[in-house]
This record gives sequence, C-alpha cells and structure tokens, in this order.
Amino acid sequence: MALSAIAGAILVLMLAEAARPTAAWALTRPIDEVRQVVNQSLPVLRDAHTPLTQRRRQLRTLIEHHFDFADMARIALGHHWRELNAAQRAQFTQLFTAFIENAYLGKIQDYSGQNVAVLGENSEGEGFARVRSEIIQQGKQPIEVDYLLREINGNWKIYDVTVDAISIVANYRNQFNRVINDQGFDRLMADMRAKQQQLQASLGS
Amino acid sequence: MAVSEPMMGAGTKQCAKRLASLAIVALLATLMLVSTTFAQSAMGADQAAPPKLPGEKALPGEAGGPYPDPLEPFNQTMFTFNIDLDQWVVTPVAKGYSYVLPEPARHSVNNFFRNVGVIPRFANNLFQLHVYNAADELARFGINSTLGVAGLFDVADSWFGMKQHNDDFGLTLGHYGIYSGAYVMLPFFGPSSVRDTVGLVVDGLMNPMDWLLPWYVSISADAGSQAIDAVNYRSLHPNQFEEADRYAVDLYGAVQDAYMQTRTAELKRLAQ
Repeated sequence: MALSAIAGAILVLMLAEAARPTAAWALTRPIDEVRQVVNQSLPVLRDAHTPLTQRRRQLRTLIEHHFDFADMARIALGHHWRELNAAQRAQFTQLFTAFIENAYLGKIQDYSGQNVAVLGENSEGEGFARVRSEIIQQGKQPIEVDYLLREINGNWKIYDVTVDAISIVANYRNQFNRVINDQGFDRLMADMRAKQQQLQASLGS
Repeated sequence: MAVSEPMMGAGTKQCAKRLASLAIVALLATLMLVSTTFAQSAMGADQAAPPKLPGEKALPGEAGGPYPDPLEPFNQTMFTFNIDLDQWVVTPVAKGYSYVLPEPARHSVNNFFRNVGVIPRFANNLFQLHVYNAADELARFGINSTLGVAGLFDVADSWFGMKQHNDDFGLTLGHYGIYSGAYVMLPFFGPSSVRDTVGLVVDGLMNPMDWLLPWYVSISADAGSQAIDAVNYRSLHPNQFEEADRYAVDLYGAVQDAYMQTRTAELKRLAQ
C-alpha cells in the first residue's frame, strides 16, 4: 500500500542507473542534478568493503549537497512556520534534517541491486522543475519516483520527493500539522526527537 | 398460478433486497453531500494563505494545513481497531499462511482475485468513457481466465503487455465532479472517504454472486474471499506497517495523507 512509500522515498536516492556521460560544459539542468545524485550514490551502495559507518558518512555528505533541507523543513511545517520565532525555526530545521537524513541512511540495508532509470524533466514554472524516474526491481512493478527541484543562485536543489505520486514532504506536513493543532509545537518537537533517537539507535552509530 | 406464487415471493424478496441496497446508497450519498460542504468550508479556512514575510519566496504547499477530519473520533477508534486486527489476527495468520504457501503461489492467488474483480473495473472505465481501457479489461479477463488458467497467471500482461486499468465507483463519482467528502477510516477495509465508501458499496453490488445466490450464502462467501484476499495481500507485503511506523511521527496522519494523495493522483491519471 501507499504506506511503504514513505520508506521507499528514502530508498530511491540510494539506487543508481548506469553512468551516463554528461557534457562538462553544459549548464546544470535539473535532470543532471538528479543523475548526479543517482550516479554518485551507486558506488557507495555497492561498495561492500568499506565499513558501513564510513559509507553512511559519504552518503550524508552527498545528500547535504543536493537537498535543500531549509526549504523542506519550511514546507513540511505548512502555515505553522509563520508562528515560530527564529530560534524555534532553527531548532525545527535542525531536527527535521537529522530525522530525514537518518531515515534515508537507514535504507542502506534495503538495497538489493535495484536500478534507477531517470526518465525526463518537466518545468513546473519559473525556477521550479520535476524530474521523473523509476526504480526498477526484478519481478515487480517499477516504483515511480519524482524529484521536485528549485533553482537557488543558479543551482538546482531537491526540496521534495514523490513516490507513487505521494509527496513525502506533504505527507509529513499532514502529520506535523495534526500534532501541532492537537498538542502544540513543543509536543511535535518531543515526538520527533523520540523518533529520531529510535532511528539513530537502529543505525547503530 | 400455484407454481408461480412462491417464485413471486422470491422475486419480492430480491426486490426488497435491492431497495434496501439503494436506501443505503441514498443515505451515504446524503451523508457525503453534508460532509462535503463541511469539509470544503473547513478546507477553505485552513488553507487561507498567511501574510507573506519579506524575502521569502513562495513554495508549493507551504500554506497547506492538515486535511479536515470531522469524523476523527470515529476514525481514530477504527484506526486502532484495524491496527490491532492486523497485529493480532491478520499478521499471525499471514505468517502461517506464507509458511504453507510459497510466494509464487501467493502471487497467483493475488492474480486470481484481481481477475474475478473485473466487473467493477470494466464498468467504471466504461462509465468514465475510457472505452479502450474497458475493452482491455474484457480482453484481459478472457485471456487470463483461459490461457492464464482461471486467472492464476496474468499472461495478458506478461505475454501481451496489457496492463490492468484500476478503476472504481469512487473514482467515477470523482470524475464527474463529486468531492471526496470527509476522510473515513472503515473497519476491515481501511482508509476511505465518504465518496469512496459509497463507491465501495456500489462496486460491491456489481458482484454477480450477490444476485445469483441467497443473501446468507453470498455474504459469507464475500466475507470469506475478502479475508483470504487480505491475508494473501499481507503475506506479500510483510513489512508494510512496520516500515511506515518506523518513519512516521504521527501514523494516523501519515496513512490519511497517503490515502488522500493517492486518490487525487488516480483521478488526475484518469483525466489524462
């Protein structure tokens, strides 16, 4: 069901397609950005010799470079973002970043030779783009994965991922909004911290 | 005359049954309209854009709030019920079942259920004037019921590349502009909306078994086959809940949003 999408979203970046040469002189396009993430993740995922902790560090650097966590945190909070002061925003962004990163890194164990085909890109208005891709797995339907990017100072950064048409950030936004509306921002922070510690513990590092 | 009287009696009963079904649909439809109005106004209030701060570029969805959920107390109860049912009944049964039946066989069971569910898919594709999809569904049923050994193998897809075209009456209503209405967590069936619950009932009425067999037989046969379908599905997706729960801060909200986003995407796909 759609539930596994949340987990699946995180898996996708770790999968890779066969390296495709991109012209060095070309301006960066959204699709190149996604191909880069995919192509750089592949060797790390397949590398069985390097210790797991080191591979996680490599992947962490990689995603920090390509993802725009500040924007992601802001949209994940929806209109409640406006009600927070600067300190709360910083706190939330930091915790959300750690949470998403750990969720993503936890998926290393799940990699079992899947491939990713980057299919194409669409403009979503000035400065916004969607790159379509598929996770190809043997004997099963491919999983549709779209990357949503925006241009910041000439660089394309990923601010959301959809898996089988479910936006991960929108999914978290619904969860976060519910908790804030019913129990307040502090409760959300407490719940996220607890979840984050669970994830951290399961990573074992 | 003497012979035809009991026949007439049976006919009247059938008729009463159909009327009762229609009454249920009408009731649900009313509920749907009421809750749709409610949900729409709640949605409007929630999604009013807040004042912009200088220097912040608008991002898609940043003004969004949670889905309106007027039935939340009921939904919460049913959500807990479904999770308990899954944890204490369906999962243990599915575990034993997977131990007995190897995975390829379970895929075949799944194929079988998808194959016999052709009527609502065919009808709703037709209702929405997706004539080629409806024709595909008919052809798939013919191919899989024969070459695919009573539907155990989806050879229409693997040999002829004909994909299944999922469709249901909830999507037909949506196609003709009916809003989803409030979110509903149904016991046994899982996440739904008022509109999609009406759809579920209407699709259920299309089951020919209900019309050919006495009601007590068809109801228990329905329940039995749905239970097998559920256990079989769970055996093919063993980590579904665990995975979702691992990454969710609020599992109820995660499931609700995943359902709503999926239905919106299905409608959009059908509109293309």
